Amino acid sequence: MDQWLNPYYLQIVMFMLINAMLGISIYFTLATGQLSLGNAGFMSVGAYTSALLSLKAGLPLYLSIPAGGVAACVLAAVIGIPATRLQGIYLAIATLGFGEVVRVIILNMKVTNGALGLSGIPALSVQIGKQLNSLGLGSGLGGITVQQLSNLSVIGLLALVVIFLVFFALRLRHSRLGRAFAAIKDDEHAAEVTGVDTVRYKLLAFFMSAFVAGIAGALAAHITFYIGPKDFSYHRAVEILLFAVLGGGNVIWGPLLGAGILTLLPELLRTVADYREMIYGGILVIMMIFRPQGLISEETLRLWRSKLFPAAKTEQEAVARRSAG
Amino acid sequence: MMLALKQVGKNFGGLAALAGISFEVHGGEILGIIGPNGAGKTTLFNLITGVMSPSQGDIVFREKSIVGTRPHQITQLGIARTFQNIRLFGNLSALENVMVGMHCRTQAGLWQGLWRTGKQRQEEADIREKALAMLALTGIADVSQALAGSLPYGKQRRLEIARALAADPEIILLDEPAAGMNESETDDLKQLVARIRDLGKAVVLIEHDIQLMMTLCDRIVVLNFGQKIAEGDPASIQANPAVIEAYLGKEEG
Repeated sequence: MDQWLNPYYLQIVMFMLINAMLGISIYFTLATGQLSLGNAGFMSVGAYTSALLSLKAGLPLYLSIPAGGVAACVLAAVIGIPATRLQGIYLAIATLGFGEVVRVIILNMKVTNGALGLSGIPALSVQIGKQLNSLGLGSGLGGITVQQLSNLSVIGLLALVVIFLVFFALRLRHSRLGRAFAAIKDDEHAAEVTGVDTVRYKLLAFFMSAFVAGIAGALAAHITFYIGPKDFSYHRAVEILLFAVLGGGNVIWGPLLGAGILTLLPELLRTVADYREMIYGGILVIMMIFRPQGLISEETLRLWRSKLFPAAKTEQEAVARRSAG
Repeated sequence: MMLALKQVGKNFGGLAALAGISFEVHGGEILGIIGPNGAGKTTLFNLITGVMSPSQGDIVFREKSIVGTRPHQITQLGIARTFQNIRLFGNLSALENVMVGMHCRTQAGLWQGLWRTGKQRQEEADIREKALAMLALTGIADVSQALAGSLPYGKQRRLEIARALAADPEIILLDEPAAGMNESETDDLKQLVARIRDLGKAVVLIEHDIQLMMTLCDRIVVLNFGQKIAEGDPASIQANPAVIEAYLGKEEG
């Protein structure tokens, strides 16, 4: 058991879940056909807001982390209102620029401690550990130390957030708003003329994306205890984009799979760590050539569904036969 | 009078695509708009639906000017349209396309969609039922689950009409709905347009098929080089020298 619950493995799982949130964050903007690369920027705003609030103002984490999400949302309002009027590549460039601006501002501010970054950020696991102690679990539970227990609790918490977000995304897809999102993605002009307030929904998707990225950033800050401007550079933005490119940006499972693979890959490829960026670039090119829709697309899901639930398939075929006959 | 255009003009750079266009659309009529290519017919639709703003003049719908109103608001007010070059949501099913058409007549937001409140479920059921009714009306109920992009051409045209009807408009603008259709498909379309009128909706129709227009329309407006050159019932249009000249050229001598 101890072998599997070592802090290194546990930390990888935590990063996987954080990256899953970031994948969901980019999925929300992609769901309306917007290519926004500002997620690293929103992530940093969430991370610094929550870190500073808990470090300097002593705010408890259950308040500072949501505050990180809200701060990202406020910033999204400032840049989103003009930026979401941009289309395609122009939006991508504007949001990428925004991320860099945020990074440079953080780099030059006193309160963020410039290039040195913030250290000693209150740790989520320590907070949870204290709670466990007060519950009388100070000596651990069934051979698991209290440290492992609190780490597992953090993973549980992160997993809950991810599960909620996936649930949210799936519900959204089959609701009035989700259909409006999908319509905008397919043909923005036709959606507007069909009666969908495209400006409003693109902005809403932008907000949702920023909020999730902010929360993910805040959680990451309290898991790594240290954040610096380097963590949220251009590379981070590209990495988040890669989750969607590799896994597929059309269905929620795509970015999740992409986040999982791209979190594990660097750990498995430790020996060639120097070539990481090159490998990422290679993946991007190969995907664009052979599978631009990503590993999981809507067709993939349909195929699996018909394999897993053959009953539903024959029913569909019967409907098709009836209508043909 | 439902919709009135008053001296409407549209300039692109120095070119007047439309100038001094005035006509009215009444409830429950089929108004045809004909004219040679480049006469400004689609531009007219773009002005009415708010896709473009007129350079001059005013467009009045139910006693209120709709100039400067955004397209989705105009749809909500009660004017829906189809496109000359089909613009469906190709990755959504036919049914979902029509359901999007009902967007401006429904309310459920993020929160209700997330928790599937009773009200939201009721609304979804209503949307689905009405959307299916629209598919049945346009004769494509059998392909409700197919992706819109995979449908044959004729059915895509019908789906566009179903989607526009789903917004429950008082006026529906159809931009060349019979383009590329064979004779029997055109006949079906004719019946469909008549049925839409019988629902009490006004239909404004752009079409090149003169035979179709003469038999289907209650009134016809003729455009040429951005000007209105004639307006009247089909018989008078057919006899109008200006119209004949626009289509066939001037007789020598």
